[in-house]
Amino acid sequence: MMPPIPANPAPVNPLRMDMIPMNYALIVAWVLFVIGVIGVLARRNLLFILMSVEIMLNASGLAFVVAGSRWGQPDGQIMFIFILAMAAAEVSVGLALVLLAYHRFGGLDADAANRMKG
Amino acid sequence: MSGADLLALLPLILISISPVAVMLAIAFFRGRGLAAALALLGLFISFVSLPFAASYAPRSVTPLLVIDNYALFYMGLVFAATFAVALLSDGYLRMLRVRSEEFYVLLLLAAAGSAVLVASAHFASFFLGLETLSVSLYALLSYPVTREKAIEAGVKYLVLAAISSAFLLFGMALVYALSGTMEFSGIAAWAAAGIKYSNPVFLGALALIAVGFGFKLAVAPFHMWTPDVYEGAPAPVSAFVATVSKGAVFALFLRYFARVDIHTMGSLALALTVISIASMFAGNLLALLQNNVKRILAYSSIAHLGYLIVAFLASGALRVTAVSFYLVAYFITMLGAFGVVTVLSGPDGDAEDIEGYRGLAARRPVIAGVFSLMLFSLAGIPLTAGFVGKFYIIAAGAGSALWLLISILVINSAIGIYYYVRVIITMYSPAPVEAEEAALPPKSTEPAGPAAPEQAASAAGAIIPIGGGLVLAVLAIGLIWLGVYPSPLLSLIRKTIQSLM
Repeated sequence: MMPPIPANPAPVNPLRMDMIPMNYALIVAWVLFVIGVIGVLARRNLLFILMSVEIMLNASGLAFVVAGSRWGQPDGQIMFIFILAMAAAEVSVGLALVLLAYHRFGGLDADAANRMKG
Repeated sequence: MSGADLLALLPLILISISPVAVMLAIAFFRGRGLAAALALLGLFISFVSLPFAASYAPRSVTPLLVIDNYALFYMGLVFAATFAVALLSDGYLRMLRVRSEEFYVLLLLAAAGSAVLVASAHFASFFLGLETLSVSLYALLSYPVTREKAIEAGVKYLVLAAISSAFLLFGMALVYALSGTMEFSGIAAWAAAGIKYSNPVFLGALALIAVGFGFKLAVAPFHMWTPDVYEGAPAPVSAFVATVSKGAVFALFLRYFARVDIHTMGSLALALTVISIASMFAGNLLALLQNNVKRILAYSSIAHLGYLIVAFLASGALRVTAVSFYLVAYFITMLGAFGVVTVLSGPDGDAEDIEGYRGLAARRPVIAGVFSLMLFSLAGIPLTAGFVGKFYIIAAGAGSALWLLISILVINSAIGIYYYVRVIITMYSPAPVEAEEAALPPKSTEPAGPAAPEQAASAAGAIIPIGGGLVLAVLAIGLIWLGVYPSPLLSLIRKTIQSLM
């Protein structure tokens, strides 16, 4: 059981979900997304880059679930399942590629993969 | 879902069955010939079913997919281009001596993803189509696993495509949170109703989606991956990425905005103008610096997407016609150009160094002629499809008084001629002495030296694979035909876009 929320003196927010206002949840999604972007930009290790991308994808998933909950539709959750399935497919191909790159370039440093200038 | 719905979906059903059929077949009888034949058959049947499905169009099948003439036209383009890539890659894979059955499974999956993409009317189908396409492409790009460059291309594309998908998804989620619908028509109606194009949250969401689209279309400033991926990927896969993957995304982009006058959207039109100008200049100026034919073609494709956006920014009915015609011309030309690179490639690496093309006209006059034709079309010289395409783009732009964009397009066409003609001049200039020695029939006891793989490869493989030769011949004929007599295609395009208007 959730603790009782103190009465809100302001009029009821139309964007209000059951308990948590939608904007708060979207802010969490934004924060997660930005963490993912920073991870992609700052990390040089391929595995960590892939993990940061996963964080970005999950941030989008969270945003979908929040949006679906605001409109009372299951669509957001369905999209989240699609995102999970896509992320799994992507990671399976991605890890195979990372393994190949590890054997070829002798490490997981993304900067080592610079045979081509561009 | 009624029977008519299923019949309208027939091309999509057939192209989805094809990869499964190939996968099952090669599980029992491994063999490249069987896989290739089944793949070509699947693509052919899917293509043939298009006119049949057209008799049930336009129809929206569930909220997810819309089957209209426009979608069927682009499906046809996707199937035909994939057919050409499959034929081209036959000789290429034989030469690489890798297990190549799965190549066709992946190629068919990518084609199925593109077909879903051009028919999508909902975020969910758009996302699924795009990801089916992208995930197959990761594996296709790195298919020759012994090549370092191919692995590097695959890893780069994987990371950037995944990031762009995440941007796209986050933008979609924000749009859904605001509008409460994920159908494109519903969102357009919602956005138009309250003039939401000045709402900062909605604009932010659109910007995120634009970043995702920008990566997939490889327009500046999201173009950095293109040259590396095109250079590292096997040449037929580069052709596929340059044509099918970009064309399908652009077709969807056009479908969504066909009914909207883009200039009512203020900042969006401005952003597209900037992207278009940046793509034209970045593509053409950076191509000047390249000595690698695949990289030249990559930068050239960036510039061509810039030209396409010029037509996209025009208003009126001519806009969609111009974009569709230009896309067809671009498909033919890019497939032909990468097709030439494919048939010239040897087992040690693709024929990508421009020096390897020196004296090609003397050794292989037909191939050099076809390549020149493709480069002329890219440059927009009359009597080729590229000229007619560019003519329509300028006509559409002039009709909407986009004088700044048109003048930049003209300047860039002039810059472009320099590097296209440079390749042609290299082909027609006399070969250096070493290349002539290499061009002599190599002794069977003496393997080609690693110092000159391109010359050796292009000279030793003097016989063009039948599939590749056929594709190049058909593309060259199509290129001239569209350049001289474009009206049948134009009337077909006009018929297909009626459902959009």
